[in-house]
Amino acid sequence: MDRKTALDGISDVVRDVLGDDDIEIREDMAAGSLEGWDSMAHINIVIGVEKRFGVAFSTTDLATLRTEGATVGCIVDLVARA
Amino acid sequence: LIADAGSIFNIAGHCPGESLLNDAPLNVASPVASLTSLIGNVETFIADPRNPDLLKWARAAAKRESPLVLADALRRIVSPELDYTTASGLARLLAQLRARADLGERKVKIAFLASYTAKPLAALVELFLAGGNVAAEIYQPEYGTFRQELIDPTSDFHAFRPEYAIISATWRDLGRRPGVGDDKATVDTLIAAEVAEWQAYWGAAQSAGAQVIQDNFVSPPWRALGNIDGSHPAGLTRYVTLLNQALQDAAPASVTIHDVDSLAAEAGRWKWSDERFFHEAKLPCAPEMLPDYGHRLAQIVLAQSGVSRKCLALDLDNTLWGGVIGEDGLNGIAIGQGDTQGEAFLAFQHYVLALKRRGVILAVCSKNTEAIAREAFERHPGMAIRMDDIACFMANWDDKATNLGRIAEQLNIGLNSLVFVDDNPVERSIIRQLRPEVAVPEMPENPAGYIEALDRKRYFETVAISCEDLRRTAMYHAEAARKAVVSSADDLEGFLRSLELVATVGPVDASSLERTVQLINRSNQFNVTTRRHSSADLLAMIGDDNWITLTISLKDRFGDNGLISVILARIERDAGALAIDTWLMSCRVLKRGVEDAALNHLAMLARKHGLAAVTGEYIPTAKNVLVKDLFATLGFSEVAKAVDGASRWSLTVDDMLQPRKHMIEMVEK
Repeated sequence: MDRKTALDGISDVVRDVLGDDDIEIREDMAAGSLEGWDSMAHINIVIGVEKRFGVAFSTTDLATLRTEGATVGCIVDLVARA
Repeated sequence: LIADAGSIFNIAGHCPGESLLNDAPLNVASPVASLTSLIGNVETFIADPRNPDLLKWARAAAKRESPLVLADALRRIVSPELDYTTASGLARLLAQLRARADLGERKVKIAFLASYTAKPLAALVELFLAGGNVAAEIYQPEYGTFRQELIDPTSDFHAFRPEYAIISATWRDLGRRPGVGDDKATVDTLIAAEVAEWQAYWGAAQSAGAQVIQDNFVSPPWRALGNIDGSHPAGLTRYVTLLNQALQDAAPASVTIHDVDSLAAEAGRWKWSDERFFHEAKLPCAPEMLPDYGHRLAQIVLAQSGVSRKCLALDLDNTLWGGVIGEDGLNGIAIGQGDTQGEAFLAFQHYVLALKRRGVILAVCSKNTEAIAREAFERHPGMAIRMDDIACFMANWDDKATNLGRIAEQLNIGLNSLVFVDDNPVERSIIRQLRPEVAVPEMPENPAGYIEALDRKRYFETVAISCEDLRRTAMYHAEAARKAVVSSADDLEGFLRSLELVATVGPVDASSLERTVQLINRSNQFNVTTRRHSSADLLAMIGDDNWITLTISLKDRFGDNGLISVILARIERDAGALAIDTWLMSCRVLKRGVEDAALNHLAMLARKHGLAAVTGEYIPTAKNVLVKDLFATLGFSEVAKAVDGASRWSLTVDDMLQPRKHMIEMVEK
């Protein structure tokens, strides 16, 4: 999958989870930098992304997304790889 | 990446008939349909709650529509089939609507005491409670503290004073587990100790005034002992199964055990437990299972509060049998053994009968010539459902919306007590629009899927089955017979005498507790204060000398009406009065003189306790105008009236020279 398609899909999920249709995300954004992207929202975003793309992240992937400095681009990496 | 995750999410399944809905007439001329542009969309989403556009539509609608209109739409759309992201999004949206306007919901306080991260599940419980018009305020202690919160009487949990305490843990929390060398007796000891621990938590929750909903334990999907994991003393599966049974056996009436393990079994245990999300976020199960889990919990709370459906109204052609009886004839319809199609419909009939036996009222709502439709029930050898099973038979050529109204009227129940099952998507669509109170489940084209489509919706969830539930159809038949007699009786007194009424009166006891709580929480019309009390409350009153609890059961020559009236009264020695806190009666025994007989009994009890007066209150609600003048009619004097219409009444016992006249033989229990 190309990164643009992945980013668009992830963007949709983030809007659904944070309940805001005006959110624009970029790959270089730190996960959690948006208002409301707390640890609960993070899980909900992960769940939503898995569902949307029909993928299941490994525990290593899940841990990566939680590390300091993880970006939206990391999620794109995982989705684009599938 | 793990590659096979797609299947995890495909649990609820789409119905092949859904596409037909696009052809359904969405602009049926009616006041409801013209009310709002939402209607067509709402109908589509009720039919297909897994529609990926649902959440976006709802968010957009929140910007245009009034909170009340959208909340009403969401109430009808929410369904256990919702996908997790949509469901949590709707839960968040609903909270925003509540912040914008009073949605007119009943409020209820719930403490969610879990060993895991309960927030996502609690949000879904809240969403599905909204489906029953209930706004939940949910208290959740800090992660990992639920035991302390329960046991410490000074905790925030105790200060919160919840009406319900949901207590939930997973198999990982079981500190005691069987060892490989343990024999059965040793394992029994472990189970007894485990049960004692949870009983202590129940007691603590009850001391905070809460009714307990205890989740049972879900066995893990893996089986270390393989096949014998369920039978060997060392097997964890056996241990969890026996523990669940022991918890159930130990639970008093005020504790409801929620059978979560059955949800896992329905879903498949490996699908139920996505361990990744336990490791990552301490979620109790796979995220996609959470909506169904939350729905079941919410339905239990709603059932406790008396919100559940009562009557199943059924279409006939292609719903109860295959084919169209008016065209194919009695011998042309597919029903009964020996034919794949006929057996599928027969299996559905057996399921419907199982519902009827536990107290769901059955009605027929069909476009047919009545005599032809009846013939199938009377003469077709393959039919399982017979005329006797149907409390109200509406087969005619009027529209079904009208007929559903008639069914509700004849059975003396609200439209919101009805579930309507019809194979025809157009009929379903029309009823959803014209009778929004009626629940209309989406049905698949394949009759072998009817049972699942209906069962998964949990319309008839109940906390307990009372004797009245088991006899309900007979009681509704008897009501029809009584109506026939009253039309021929010359005068009311003669009619009442001809009924040979016998009432049994006595305090609430173990055998009547369940039914009493059910009535207290369900009765709306003949109910002077509409105060709701839990079984825990009632148990406390029974044990308190300052309370008088009374139930009245009524029999007549047509049958037994069962327990039909409840009175709870407080002895106020300082005021010298017997103060009625709750007085309610089932509407099916109106105008039989039960209230007169009840007042005589109350006056007798007041005298016995040396009290000079019986006092009562009327608190008006949208539904209890029926008893507005009850106290005046019974000879009480109004002593106070508040601006909101609530009034207080008093009757001096000595002024009551004559007992109230009635035609009931009274028997004390």
